[in-house]
Amino acid sequence: VTPGIDGSDARAIRRLGSLLEVSKALAELVELDPLLKVILDKATEVMDAERSTIFMHDERLSVLRSHLSGQIARDAVHLHLGVGIAGQVAKTLELLNVPDAYADPRFNPRFDRETGFRTRNILCAPLLSRDGRLLGVIQLLNKRGSAAFSPDDETLLLGFASIAAVAIDRARLVAAVVESKRIEESLRLAHDIQMGMLTRRFPRHGVAIHAALQPARGVGGDFYDLVEQEGRTWFAVGDVSGKGMGAALFMAITLTLFRASAEGGASPAEVMARMNRALARDNERAMFVTVFVGLVNLTTGRLTFANGGHNPPYVLRATGALEVLKNADSPALGVLEDAAYADSELDLLRGDGLFLYTDGITEAQAPDEAFYGVERLEALLRGLASASPAECVDRVVGDVNRFASGAPPADDLTVLALRRLQD
Amino acid sequence: MEIREERRGAVLIVAPAGRVDSNTSGTFEASVLERAKEPRLLVDLSGVEYISSAGLRVFLMLARKVKETGGRLVLCGMGASVRQVFDLAGFTALFLVEPSVEQGLARLSA
Repeated sequence: VTPGIDGSDARAIRRLGSLLEVSKALAELVELDPLLKVILDKATEVMDAERSTIFMHDERLSVLRSHLSGQIARDAVHLHLGVGIAGQVAKTLELLNVPDAYADPRFNPRFDRETGFRTRNILCAPLLSRDGRLLGVIQLLNKRGSAAFSPDDETLLLGFASIAAVAIDRARLVAAVVESKRIEESLRLAHDIQMGMLTRRFPRHGVAIHAALQPARGVGGDFYDLVEQEGRTWFAVGDVSGKGMGAALFMAITLTLFRASAEGGASPAEVMARMNRALARDNERAMFVTVFVGLVNLTTGRLTFANGGHNPPYVLRATGALEVLKNADSPALGVLEDAAYADSELDLLRGDGLFLYTDGITEAQAPDEAFYGVERLEALLRGLASASPAECVDRVVGDVNRFASGAPPADDLTVLALRRLQD
Repeated sequence: MEIREERRGAVLIVAPAGRVDSNTSGTFEASVLERAKEPRLLVDLSGVEYISSAGLRVFLMLARKVKETGGRLVLCGMGASVRQVFDLAGFTALFLVEPSVEQGLARLSA
C-alpha cells in the first residue's frame, strides 16, 4: 500500500498521465487521417472503452461523417445534425452520457444490427475549435467491465476532447494551406503553359507586327496569334467569355483551331467558319469567343479580314487619320454551328497601320472605377501614326496600366499592332 | 447586383440591376437559370448599366435552357451601352428583343 494515495487518486493520476501522453502524441501529427487514427486508439485506451468513433462535421453538407476505431472498419456512416446520439451532441454541443443505450429513444440500433456489435452504454462529446465551431463529435461505446461511464469519465473525456480538437483544428488549417499552395502552383503552371503557346517571334517582312497579352488572374481567355506563309501573314486576336481555367482551356482550343485552319485556309471568313463549327459542336457550357482574323498580302498590302463579334480594330493611316474597321456583324464563335462569316477587304498603303485589342483595354478601371474607354484609346492612337508596332503596343499597355494605377485588372488585356513597311 | 422578380399574368419578369460582369455573372447565372423552366420569361435589362462577355454567356445559356423546355424568352429595356455589347458580339439576332416591358409582355402573350 502506498501511503497517502488511495486507489481512486492513483487512478486519477494515471489518467492525467495518459492525457499528457495523448497531448504529446497529437502534437507531433499534422496530417488529419493518421491523427484521427491515433485519437481513436488513445480514446479507447484512456477511457477504458470497447470502441470509439469520431464523426467529422462537414460544414458544406451539414452532416457528420464517421471514422471508426477497432476491428470493424465499415463504409463511412453519414448522420444528420440532431439525429441519433452523436447527432444530438452535434446539435446541442453538450456532452451526453447514456448509461443504457437501448432505453434511450435517441439511440439508433441499426448499426448494431448491421455489425453484430452490442452497444450497452455511450459517452459522447463535441469537438470544438477555439472559436467554438463544431469540428466533430467523439463517441465511446461500452465502458469495459459492467458499469456505465462515470462522472469522472465525463470530465476526462471533456479534457481529452479539447486536446484532440486543437490537434484536428491545426491539421485542418495545415491541409487548407497545403491545398491552396497546390492550387496556386497548378495555376502558375497553367499560366506558363498558356503564355508558352503565344508566339514571341514577330515578323518584319513587308509588314511589321507586334503583340502583347497581360492576363488578369494568372490564366485567362485572351489570345493573339500569327501564321506566316509564303508572301502572306495571318493574324488573329480573340477573347473567350469568362476567366480562369475554363476560359484558358477554351482559349487553347481556339488557338489550336486557328493554326490548323489557317494552314490550308483560303480566307479569314472560311477559317472562322471552320473554327466556329468545331467550337459550337457539343458546347455544353455555352462558352464563346470573339475573334478577329486578318490575312495580309506582304507584297500588295491588301488586307482580307473577318470579324466574329470582336470589337472593330482601328486603321492608323500614315496620313494621321484614324479609321474604325467595321464589317458585317457576325456572331462570336461557338454560339451557332451554322453561323455565316463574310470577308471584307481593305488596302493598306505603305506606312499604314492596324491596331487590334480586346475589351480589357477599354474596360480597364482606375481606382475611382472610371473606365479607360475608347476616347482615351483613340486620342492615344492619333499620336501614334508613325510609331512602330512595338512602340504602339508598349505605349497603349503602359498607358492603360498607368490609368489603372495598381487597381487589380478585371480582365485580360491584349493588343496587336501591325504596320506596312515603307520598303 | 440585384435581381428583382415580378409575375404579370402568365409571364415572369426578371430584372437584374447593376453590372453583369465576371464578378457577378455567377450569381446571375445561378438565379436566372433556375427560372429557365418558366414557360414565358421576360428579362428586363433597363437596370443593367454594364454587361461583359461573361454576362452575355449567361443569356446564351438561358436561351438554350428555355428552348430545351419549350418556353419563350424575350429581352427588353436594353440601354444603349448594353445594346452595343449585344450588337458587337453578334448576339442581337439570337434573341427576341423589345424596347419596353409593355412591348415585351405583348410579344409573349401574342
